[in-house]
Amino acid sequence: MTKRLKTMGALAVAGVLAAGIASVWAHHSATMFDHATTMTINGEVVELRWVNPHVSLSVNGVVKERAEDGPAVWVMEMTSPGNLVRAGGWRRDAVTPGEKVEVVFSPLRDSASKGGALKKLTVVATGEVFTANIREQERPGLE
Amino acid sequence: MRSRLLATMFVMLASAATADAQNAPKKPPAIINPPPTAQDYADLAKLPDWSGVWNPKITDQDAQARTNPPPWNEKVAKEAEKMWAEEKAGRPKLIFYGCFPEAHPSWMLVTHNAMEILFTPGRVTMLGESDGNRLRRIYTDGRPHPDTPDPTFHGHSIGHWEGDTLVVDTVDILPQAPLAISEAVGVPNDGDMRVTERIYLAEKDILHVELEITAPKIFTKPWKTTRIFFRQRARKFDIVEGVCQQGEYREAKDENGHHIFVPIEKTEWGNLVAPK
Repeated sequence: MTKRLKTMGALAVAGVLAAGIASVWAHHSATMFDHATTMTINGEVVELRWVNPHVSLSVNGVVKERAEDGPAVWVMEMTSPGNLVRAGGWRRDAVTPGEKVEVVFSPLRDSASKGGALKKLTVVATGEVFTANIREQERPGLE
Repeated sequence: MRSRLLATMFVMLASAATADAQNAPKKPPAIINPPPTAQDYADLAKLPDWSGVWNPKITDQDAQARTNPPPWNEKVAKEAEKMWAEEKAGRPKLIFYGCFPEAHPSWMLVTHNAMEILFTPGRVTMLGESDGNRLRRIYTDGRPHPDTPDPTFHGHSIGHWEGDTLVVDTVDILPQAPLAISEAVGVPNDGDMRVTERIYLAEKDILHVELEITAPKIFTKPWKTTRIFFRQRARKFDIVEGVCQQGEYREAKDENGHHIFVPIEKTEWGNLVAPK
């Protein structure tokens, strides 16, 4: 189990490295994403990094809008674990490596980098949906 | 010439000795943190209920960044315009240092993370979720600000209750602490900043922080703004631990099989690099 996770981890780093992902969280601003654009990736979870200040999910799959690129590892950034639990019903174990998912996201403006801001995650097997919009907490009728 | 010098030295020494006697070390001040009494704890029950998880109203922060900008001085106004332009172009300026606190008052102004507020005898303490270093101690025991400034990220805060409103005065904030109105627009306060606040429940689950910020190095006049926090009515959440630096590491095992953290390796541009 540990060995598999370690291998997964190594693959994740290699995949992310190959994609040349920028360290998004260090910039602390959401404007490096093109929020006017939405893309969808279908693939398998490589890794969910449940850490502060930003949780990230890497997915190995095909982006519908970039189908010609073929499968690749994309890294989705989100807000903090605390915010995700309150705003999007997330859990640390929301997804596990290897699970099939569909992710809707806004891509990084730097189109060479395979990354984005996660908008919606759907777990294919169960249909469970997770969102990541921190402003969603402000809707009326909040529990 | 030499005797004159000696005479001068003698006079200086003599006056210094007199001054020393006049400025003899004062008695140490009375203990300023007495053990709390049962009455002190009972008095806390009379305070309004500020318990729970307070979330910032980010849509209001977004709106105010445009509708209620600070009275920047001319020089800083030009810098701010440049920063807005860079952010719009997708090249936001990094105004916060890694995991350093946003500091006061920028924590109140631009945080996207929750906080909790604790009442203990003589003190109101705010704890921010994004990292343990988001911490404000507001002394309500009647003490003054210190004679000798000891600048810190959150400054020295003293407060008192006017009914159910906490009135706070903060000085001695590090000059490096940014005055930020968004994550990518702000400048260091450059010193001599003073912040007063009126904090109160505007509604049962809405907290208002009314700020008046005097920042002579960057503002033309004091700036007033109110920031809004809200809590979930069902109170089903807790503040969770946040260690901001953890994002710079990944989990690994060492040669002895122990669980360790290893830094995520990055290039100077912040891209990940292959592990060795």
